[in-house]
Order: sequence, then C-alpha cells, then structure tokens
Amino acid sequence: MEVMRKLDVFDIVSFPVILVIFLLFAGMLFVFFKNALPALEHFGIDLYIKNIWQAASVPQKEVYGIAAALWGSFYTSLIAILISLPISAAFSVFIVDYAPRGLKNTLAILSDVMAGLPTIIYGIWGAFILVPFLRHWVMEPLYRYFSFIPFIHYPPVGGYSYFSAGVLLAIMITPFVSAIIREAYQMIPFTYREAAYAVGATKFEATRILLGYIKPAMVSGIILGFGRAVGETIAVSLVIGNTFNLTYKLFAPGYTISSLIANQFGNAFLYTYMTSTLFAAGLALFAIGLTVNIIGIHMLRRWEKNVQV
Amino acid sequence: MFRFNPNRKAVEKGFLFTIGLLTVVAVLPLFYILYTVTLKGLPVILKRGTIFFTGTFSEGGIGPAIAGTFLLTFLSSLIGVPLALMVGMYSYENPRSVLGRWTKALLEIMMEFPTILVGIFVMAVLVIPMGTYSAMAGAFALVIILLPYVAVYTHEAMRGIPFTYKEAGYALGLTRIKVLFRILAPMAKRGVLTGVLIGIAKAAGETAPLLFTAGGLYESYPTSITKPVGTIPLLIYQLIQSPSPQDHATAWGASLVLMVIFIAVFIPLRMSLKEVKL
Repeated sequence: MEVMRKLDVFDIVSFPVILVIFLLFAGMLFVFFKNALPALEHFGIDLYIKNIWQAASVPQKEVYGIAAALWGSFYTSLIAILISLPISAAFSVFIVDYAPRGLKNTLAILSDVMAGLPTIIYGIWGAFILVPFLRHWVMEPLYRYFSFIPFIHYPPVGGYSYFSAGVLLAIMITPFVSAIIREAYQMIPFTYREAAYAVGATKFEATRILLGYIKPAMVSGIILGFGRAVGETIAVSLVIGNTFNLTYKLFAPGYTISSLIANQFGNAFLYTYMTSTLFAAGLALFAIGLTVNIIGIHMLRRWEKNVQV
Repeated sequence: MFRFNPNRKAVEKGFLFTIGLLTVVAVLPLFYILYTVTLKGLPVILKRGTIFFTGTFSEGGIGPAIAGTFLLTFLSSLIGVPLALMVGMYSYENPRSVLGRWTKALLEIMMEFPTILVGIFVMAVLVIPMGTYSAMAGAFALVIILLPYVAVYTHEAMRGIPFTYKEAGYALGLTRIKVLFRILAPMAKRGVLTGVLIGIAKAAGETAPLLFTAGGLYESYPTSITKPVGTIPLLIYQLIQSPSPQDHATAWGASLVLMVIFIAVFIPLRMSLKEVKL
C-alpha cells in the first residue's frame, strides 16, 4: 500500500506540466470534434461511406464523402505491410542469426538511419525515381502480360498509384517493423534454439519454430507498422496521384486521408463545408491511429512481460 | 509437425539464399536514396556555390529555409526540452500511480501519432486566431513532435540508474528535487542528451506538421516569430509540386543539405549507442 506523503517542490512543479500535456491531447480531440461537427451534421454518415467530392461556391451544392480516402489509407497500408513483413522478418533473422559481428552492427545502424531519415527525402526520391522505375519495370510489364488478372487491370499511365504508395510505404516502415521483430527475436531464450537444433532441425525448421514463438510480437509489429503507414503524409501524397478513386485496382491513382488533408486543406477555406469535412477526415484518422497504436503497444508490452520471467 | 522431406538440404539452401536476398532488399533502398540524392543534388550545389547556402530563393539559394529550420528547431527545443524533462522525470518518479502510467502510455501514443493531425490542430488553435502563419505556430507543432521522444528517453535513462544512488541521496537527507536534479540527472546525462538530439533530428526533418502552420518564407530571412517562416523540408515539398525543372534542381540540392545534416547528427549519435527508438 502506498503511504500518503506530503507534496514537495517536485510535485508542485511537475504536476502542472503533466496536466498541460493531458489537456493538450484532450484539446486536440476536442478541436477535431468541434470543427468536424458542421460537416457531420450536414452530411451525416454519408460523409464516411460515399465517394464524392463536389466543391461549390454555393453551400447547398457542396457534397463531400471521403470513402475513397478511407479506403486508400487502408489499402496502401495493407500493401505496405504485405510487402514489408517477409522482408522485415528475413532481415531480423539474418541480423540475429547469420550476420558476422561487424556486419550485424552495420546493418542495425543502416536500418536505424532508414527509420529516422526525413520523410520528405523518401518523398522526393519516391516521386522522381521510384515511381518511374516501378512504372517501367513492374507495372507496364505486368499490365502488358497479365492484365486479365483483376488487380492489375488498370493502365499505369502516370505510375502514381496505390501500388507505388504501398511500395514506398513498405520501404519506409520496414526498418521500424524489423526493429520490433528483431528485438523480440533476440529475446528468445537460448535454450529454445539449442532445443530446436538438438532434435535435428535444419536452420529453416529452427527459424520456423522460433518465429512461431514470437508470433505475438510479430502481430504487434504488423499493427504498429500499419499505424505508421496510415499516418504517413508527405511521401504518400507525392506518389499516390491524389484522385478520388474507390477501387481495388493496384495501378489506379487514389487518395489517403492524410494526403487528402495535405492536399486540400490549403484552399478549403474558400468553401463552407470543406474545412469541416477535412477535420472529420482527421477525426477518423485520429480514431484509427489511436486504436491501432493502443492495441499494438499493449500487445507488445504484454508479450515482453511474459518473456521476461 | 514436420514430415520427412527428402529435399531438406535443398530447402535449407533456398531458405538461406532467400534470407540473404531479402536482407539486401531491405537496405538497398537506402543506398539507392543516398546515391540519387547525391548524384542529383551535388551538381546543383557545386554550380551555385555558396549562394546556394546563403542566397534567397530568387538568387538560387535556400538560405532563408536553412535559417528557418534552425530557428524553428531552436525555438521548439527551448520550449519542448524542459517540459519533456519534467514529464520524463514525473513518469520515472511515479511508475505505479495511475497518472504516472497514463503519462507513459500517452507519451508512447504521441510518438506514433500521425503528424499531419498535429499540424491542423495547431492551425485551428493558433494560426486561425492569429490570422497568419507564423514561426510561433510552427515551433508549437514541433514541440508536440519532439516532446515524447525526449521524455521517453529521459524516463529510460533515469530508470537505468541503480536504485542505491537514490537511496544514498535520501540517506544524506537531500530533498527529492535535489536527488533528482543533482544526483540522478547528471548520471542520466548521456541518455537524456541522446533523447534531446533524436527529438531535434525528428523535429528538423518534419514536413507535415509545418504545412499549415509555418507558412513558408524563402525570399528573405526570418525576422519575427509572429511572421511566417520556411524550412528545408517544407521548401522541398513545395518545389516538388512545381512543374519547373529549375525548382526540381533546387529541391534536390536542398534534399542533399537536409540529408547531410541528418546523417552528420545521427550517425555519431547512433554509433555511441546500442539501440535507439525511432
């Protein structure tokens, strides 16, 4: 039981600071909610489930529905995770199990450099190098020979598409996801490794067993990586094509919530409901970000607690 | 679980090859990025010479953006670092209380929070009431970005100090604030400093929170914190969207400057540590 003690100088100084931080967060939620309210009242649930973007100088003619952006955020992040997961897992296994000591450290440093690199650098590289590269070497050949497959059935005209955004996001979140998996993979007690090899498992079989052991950590890596990808704004808005397009076709241009905000907020004040609509979009992103991160962080902590016996 | 497979050796080889290949795939983009940015940025900088670093935008330089980046980073750390230290120490001091645990959780959530939301929040509370973009608003947005990093690092650094030092401090009859600031803080100096540098590196490279707060200023040097200011990432973002090849050249040059600043701060920092949280 905690004994009640007298408040000292530290409490008096630090408590207001903590209060400010919490108020700031609550304030954010309040500001988003308050500013989103006009659009929520005016359009109702249609705002989130319809795909329409009709700006007009007369408020009565304005109609907005951000379904395409919601879908785009989900779809690009999903593509990113699907690409990133095998790479992150292999990368972690290589660093922990197979890399020689010197290389191990170098690879970890490179990965951290990638995680910290300003996103605008990914953005400029993505827009000017990666998109033309993907269009020429991946999208066009696939479209030419495999366009009977539904996902690929869209002419990659500019190359700016869900696919490009997904690939760029995959590159950006891989160091982050692999850091989580690597940390977990390192924490596996050595006896498990010994046991796997003692029963005659090959390296492949041993790795499969060990990766099975850290499955919860991998799941939280996926969730947190997804959270990162959903929130990423700058790089995505430069490669996704910024078009309202509600489709599963990989090579079609699209929108994400964050790129929609980045792209439209500047001129939104000319219209009556657009600002409010964008705040409503932000509110959705707020909710997604909060939920995803709370679940991811919680799972990771619980797993870590279980491992540290 | 495993049936006998006559191809075990072949599978093993294939597995090792795949692991190696995917590792290369994971780090290859970094080299590609370093290569492209240098290749495209260096000629621009060499051609324009020192003007590139000091000149205004119409002279072909990014001087105001560099100054703006330093100004915003300085302002945001001036406000953010002391606050973050207090928050970090609070969550260290109260690991079991409800508020202490919530604080820690909030910090972790803030680290992962979509940064564009911080930008439009600050726009709603500062830019619209003031009627103008400003360095102040930009700095406020960056405070929210760097605070959780500095606080979490402070917390971790202080938690790493053996409990006996704290006991020794109290045994000497020191007050809690003296124990924290005179004994524990100097011992945790390195970890705290790391957090500060990582927070600053993050803040200096951010674009999204500044889009609708800092505004942008590239034709003259910033003079007042209540007026708009430009930064390197913001400038690059705006230049990429311009159709002119001249602007793209400037963007590549600016990217090289930004990348060199980041690597110069980050690599020595990372070399001196076992791991970082980003």
